[in-house]
Amino acid sequence: MLAAPAVSLRGQNITLYVVDGMPISSDTWNISPDDIETYTVLKGLAATAIYGSRAQNGAILITTKRGKRNAKGFSVDFNSSTQVDNGFIALPETQALYGGGERTEYAFGDGKGGGLNDGDYDVWGPKFNGQLIPQYDSPIDPATGIRQGTPYVARGVNNLKRFIQPGLLTTNSISFSGASDRANVRVSFSNSHQKGIIPNTKLDINNFNITAGYDLTSKLKIEGGLNYNRQNSPNIPDVQYGPNSVIYSMTIWTGADWDVDAPDIRGIWQPGKEGVQSVFAEYQRYHNPWFMSYEWLRGHYKTDVYGNLGLTYKFNTHLEAVLRANVSTYDVLRNEKMPYSAHPYGREENRGDYREDRRSLYDNNVEGLVKYNNKIGSAFTIDALAGVNARNFKYNSSFVTTDYLNVPGLYSFSNSVNPIKAYSYNADMLVLSAYYSVGLEFKDYLTLTTTGRVDKSSSLLKNNNTYFYPSFSLASVISDYVKMPKVISFLKVRASYATAKAPSTSAYLGPAGYPLGYGAPYVTTYGGPNFGLSDPAYTISPTYNNLTGAYAPGNKIDPNVKSSVLKSTEYGLDIRFLGNRLGFSATYYSNLIGPYIRPFPLSEASGLTAFTTNAITTKLSGAEISLMGTPIQTKTGFRWDVLVNWSTFKEVYKDYPSNFANYQFHQGDRVDKLFANLTAKTPDGQVINNGAGFPVYLPKGQYVGNGDVDWSWAINNRFTYKTFSLSFQFDGKVGGIVQDYVKRKSTEGGSNIETVQGAVGVARQYENDHHKDPGFEGSYVGEGVQVSNGAVIQYDDVTGVITNYKDLQFATNTSKVKYIQDYVSSFFNNFEHTSVAKTYAKLREVVLTYSLPMKVFGDKSVIRKIEISLVGRNLLYFFPSRFHDIDVDQYSGRNIYSGNSREPNLQTPTTRSYGFNINVGF
Amino acid sequence: MKKHNYYIVVLFALLLSTNSCKKQYNDYTPDPNNPVTVPPYLVLRQILNDMVVYPFGDADKFGQFVLSSYTYYGTNEYWTGSADLNYGTLRNVAAMDKEAKRSAGDVNNPYSALAKFFKAYFFIDMSLKVGDVPMTEALLGLENPTPKYDSQKDVFKQSLDLLEQANNDLAALISAADVSLLGDFYFQERINGPETPLNALKSWQKVVNTYKLRVLIALSKKADDADLGVKQKFNDVLSDPAKYPIMESLDDNLQYVYNNAFNKYPNNKDNYGFDATRITVGQTWINTLSSLNDLRVMKIADPARGLGFADTDYRSFVGASNGEDVSTMGGKVEQGLYSLVGRKRYYDGYLGEPTFIVGYPEMCFNIAEAINRGWVTGDADSWYQKGIKADFDFYGVVDGDNTISFLRTLAPGDYVNYTVNFSYATYFNQPAVKYAGDNATGLGQILTQKYLAFGRNSGYEAYYQWRRTNVPTFSTGPGIGNSGVIPLRWQYPTAELSTNAANYTAAVQSQYGGDDNINLQMWIIK
Repeated sequence: MLAAPAVSLRGQNITLYVVDGMPISSDTWNISPDDIETYTVLKGLAATAIYGSRAQNGAILITTKRGKRNAKGFSVDFNSSTQVDNGFIALPETQALYGGGERTEYAFGDGKGGGLNDGDYDVWGPKFNGQLIPQYDSPIDPATGIRQGTPYVARGVNNLKRFIQPGLLTTNSISFSGASDRANVRVSFSNSHQKGIIPNTKLDINNFNITAGYDLTSKLKIEGGLNYNRQNSPNIPDVQYGPNSVIYSMTIWTGADWDVDAPDIRGIWQPGKEGVQSVFAEYQRYHNPWFMSYEWLRGHYKTDVYGNLGLTYKFNTHLEAVLRANVSTYDVLRNEKMPYSAHPYGREENRGDYREDRRSLYDNNVEGLVKYNNKIGSAFTIDALAGVNARNFKYNSSFVTTDYLNVPGLYSFSNSVNPIKAYSYNADMLVLSAYYSVGLEFKDYLTLTTTGRVDKSSSLLKNNNTYFYPSFSLASVISDYVKMPKVISFLKVRASYATAKAPSTSAYLGPAGYPLGYGAPYVTTYGGPNFGLSDPAYTISPTYNNLTGAYAPGNKIDPNVKSSVLKSTEYGLDIRFLGNRLGFSATYYSNLIGPYIRPFPLSEASGLTAFTTNAITTKLSGAEISLMGTPIQTKTGFRWDVLVNWSTFKEVYKDYPSNFANYQFHQGDRVDKLFANLTAKTPDGQVINNGAGFPVYLPKGQYVGNGDVDWSWAINNRFTYKTFSLSFQFDGKVGGIVQDYVKRKSTEGGSNIETVQGAVGVARQYENDHHKDPGFEGSYVGEGVQVSNGAVIQYDDVTGVITNYKDLQFATNTSKVKYIQDYVSSFFNNFEHTSVAKTYAKLREVVLTYSLPMKVFGDKSVIRKIEISLVGRNLLYFFPSRFHDIDVDQYSGRNIYSGNSREPNLQTPTTRSYGFNINVGF
Repeated sequence: MKKHNYYIVVLFALLLSTNSCKKQYNDYTPDPNNPVTVPPYLVLRQILNDMVVYPFGDADKFGQFVLSSYTYYGTNEYWTGSADLNYGTLRNVAAMDKEAKRSAGDVNNPYSALAKFFKAYFFIDMSLKVGDVPMTEALLGLENPTPKYDSQKDVFKQSLDLLEQANNDLAALISAADVSLLGDFYFQERINGPETPLNALKSWQKVVNTYKLRVLIALSKKADDADLGVKQKFNDVLSDPAKYPIMESLDDNLQYVYNNAFNKYPNNKDNYGFDATRITVGQTWINTLSSLNDLRVMKIADPARGLGFADTDYRSFVGASNGEDVSTMGGKVEQGLYSLVGRKRYYDGYLGEPTFIVGYPEMCFNIAEAINRGWVTGDADSWYQKGIKADFDFYGVVDGDNTISFLRTLAPGDYVNYTVNFSYATYFNQPAVKYAGDNATGLGQILTQKYLAFGRNSGYEAYYQWRRTNVPTFSTGPGIGNSGVIPLRWQYPTAELSTNAANYTAAVQSQYGGDDNINLQMWIIK
């Protein structure tokens, strides 16, 4: 939550936001939607090249609202929206027949190994039959000191559902704007309050915005604006797989043998040990969810300020000059207060910690440009601009943590038991640029636009730090000069070729140091140097006894390394029929990305692992089709608009030097191929088991599918009748594959519903009933075969596939597995059993809007307009997989590093949400 | 008005431009966050840190000492793929040498002397895993990005030369009373009893020569190779203690000592609830100990009470076979049919036991082995007994009454204590222990005791000894994977095929007929 978002466009991530002509650093949370007049998603390199390399994956152009003149001289707008998040579209389904433990045995001792399977257990414990078993809250006989048994029952069915609460999001904004004949001003304030679905998680965002303009003379205009944004949260959830996650502690690894609503569990602390020892059913690895929500707090405090000031001088109607500057800054503090008795990975002493992650970014642009437009002769129109820009970037961050706390509950570095661990990171960068854009129109036939930009970046080596990249695009409205059949009302073709070059920078950055073994490191937007071309440096880190050690660098830098390159070719067609009632637009693009700046792998025996140079080119090509139409339009004012979008892309290695290649990837291969562990199989596809009846795994990962989806689609419908409008969007994706992490873990752990169903369920019941019988040997026989002639299976050295089928004889597997959990744990680690296609469809949004007709107010009314909307989101989710436990939409695009994870981390369950919005204008 | 505007424009322009152009254009901004040169002792610490092979990992399983009895934490299958090689550490060795020479000049210094030892140590470590490895042409950086492989024999030959030079260089520094060594946490800056820099060099000299004896023993199948001169070199060390000082007690061990705050023994009280009941002891290790009525077993393991014998009855100490499937093993552990690792020794605190890198008990057995094999003359029995007694010391097994603590039930920290009498004389007089003389039986006894002394320490030495001598007999079965066969080597790192294809292919061809297979024999064990 609140991390840098992945806004994926054509397989790449948009990292540039341009507000009123100037680039800003944005995590999207620092812009108030109510301040936006218009926004445009710029696709295609030809459109974005002028904004520099940061825009090479696309850019979002935002124009903010300005004070406008109206009859009254000013206007006030009030907007209020409320949204409730309730009901999950997909949730892991758990069993409530068996509790925590191993091999159907469990008895609480101390909750951390002192009992029978009572610490770090699975949910493979005994069946709930009301039998007497010592549990965490069972009484201890004062005479003997022995914990008594209490009835073992499923008292915690649906713990997670009962723990999670409806989320609430309310946003209120008010703006004032006014203008006179020379001046305009607009001020706005918005507050957004969000209550998360996990108890005690919340976020407040306050946004203040002011823009103003003044015409000093008819030719000289001054304009400026400032936006202040504060994100404030005393507690944000951490869903990363691990003991820090409630999903981990509730859904995957503990069972229904404890009740989330029990007063002792809700009371959090053990009586007399407040602040030191929490209450839970287990104390080695898992946590009481109320303790996690109310005592283990992760704060987020971020201040974003960006502003700009510009001066425009209009020489005449053809020529104007602009001088402007902006700053974009953020300061963020993330802290974590980890109380005593919390024990995520690596913190098993249970003695608490305090951590602070501070980051500060300053990004400043100063720009001067000249714009010119005119007609040249009777045939040509020119529209041109040229500018220079200086970008000055500074970043500083630190990460500091205690190493356990002396005094419980005192979250201060001076309270650290062992020396604190502290890390810092500094970065400076200067980029000088000049650019131009010339648009030339020849009569009505042809528009030619060319842009060019030259950058000089301090993140590149001196000899190659200046680089130029041009773009050309050509468009022609054929229907303007060729006579078309009557049915065709408009026909346009377009083509472009563009290049971009990028320095050695990173779009995102994590903490200055991360000595923790749990949680998700917070990633912020960065855009600064990554020092990838710096003289190879030692890595300094603590070695034995916390003494500092140094690790020698394993790379060398190519002294001739250049900026990385992107070349894009794009063709498009727009056609409209029947007086524009029906339109069709198609685009094909082909991007050659690279050579990148990459570590070229070397034999480790050389003492180096890589030579940093320009290498690897990929080809990302795709197509986008849109169909828009107005099937119905009546004279009574009823109108139905439809927009259908379809898109596809794929990326392959165009140039992939052999040093990079291995058995998994070669030149020509898709870049999103995924590899995973698979069980060994006979030529006819039966699982091969070992002599004990457990599946044999192939020694190397095998190709299992592609990460990118095959294609995406969306259908927008909008019905309007007078001042009513109803719109809804269906969308979805088809293809691609991903491993269902929660499925895999909950199955291994014995909590998943499938572990009590079918043959596994039968074996589980048998084990529960018979495991104490003399000579118990289990009942489950895994599918597949065993090698029957004692031959050794041989595997290919490189690919790991079986090479000696001719020597192997097989017979049906007859070995019973003693305890079903061990078989399930082994069998379900096979990718094939827990992977899902990313294919899904969603009814993403339904909006019903009603504007009160103007005549209701009359000309003299103070109120200018009232608009009311009802909004529903994520209302329906169709997921044709046999598991319905994840929202694959959360994994449908690439991640922020433009890659695909084979097995992405746990997700916060997606909720349906319902809300309403009122907009009042005065 | 016009003039006024003119001023505004000029002022504005000035302000904007000063905003950015105060800064000089720095052609290339270097990384301010990491150093390009460091003092050599920082690198030394990193190298020393890389020497230890921690217990509770693969080496414990592959040496058949400690096994997993819980599938989720892993099976006991042997490996299927590549080895991790040590070129990263060797890069540090080269960097340390360079940094030392940069500050001290190109002369003998403690870092450069130790660098020779480290090179020998890490090249041999790699070669024992895979066979031939690049050495002569290795570590030259961009001068040779595709180094040729040296034969395993040449790796050993060069390494023995390096050990000879390291010994000579250290001797020269000691006689010059050099005190410049820093960053040596095994001797000079160890937590308990740090040595002076000069004494630390003396300790290192013993390490170098003691390690050399291990290397020569590893070449036992090539003892008659004239180029290597194994027997001669062994004799050189033993016959000239002034030139080749060797370890004299456990105090001389090169060992990793755990501490409470930063370097906890991998099994410790924090982890009790994770693994104290999920790892069991291998039968190859403790069934041997219990069959010899060896009190070490009661330090290493807790009694398997499900068997129904008294806690201090040697029959209560039974381990599992590596070949058993983990499910069956886990059930038997829960029923008390197998011993768990000694909770008093391994889970009571954070210190566990030191992990040997090069240890004194092994050295005693190596000398006994060399005498038994007739490489050198001497009293094998005496070294054999010295080795056993040294290992008794390591486990705190004394001649007479010993206090033994076992966990009372399951609750951590609650022990039941016994006094057990153990007589060294009785122990050594057992037919299975009493040295049978310089013959095959005696050799088997030496190797068995050496194996016992490798328990949970000394990296993969126990596995390498099994591979070289077949002593002790290792357990097999479905649980070890690889169709029930213990592999004999690791594959080369897969990246070699793409980054150094010609040389890799030639090396695999000459050694293994083109098949980089884990079941094939390398030169040293042929």
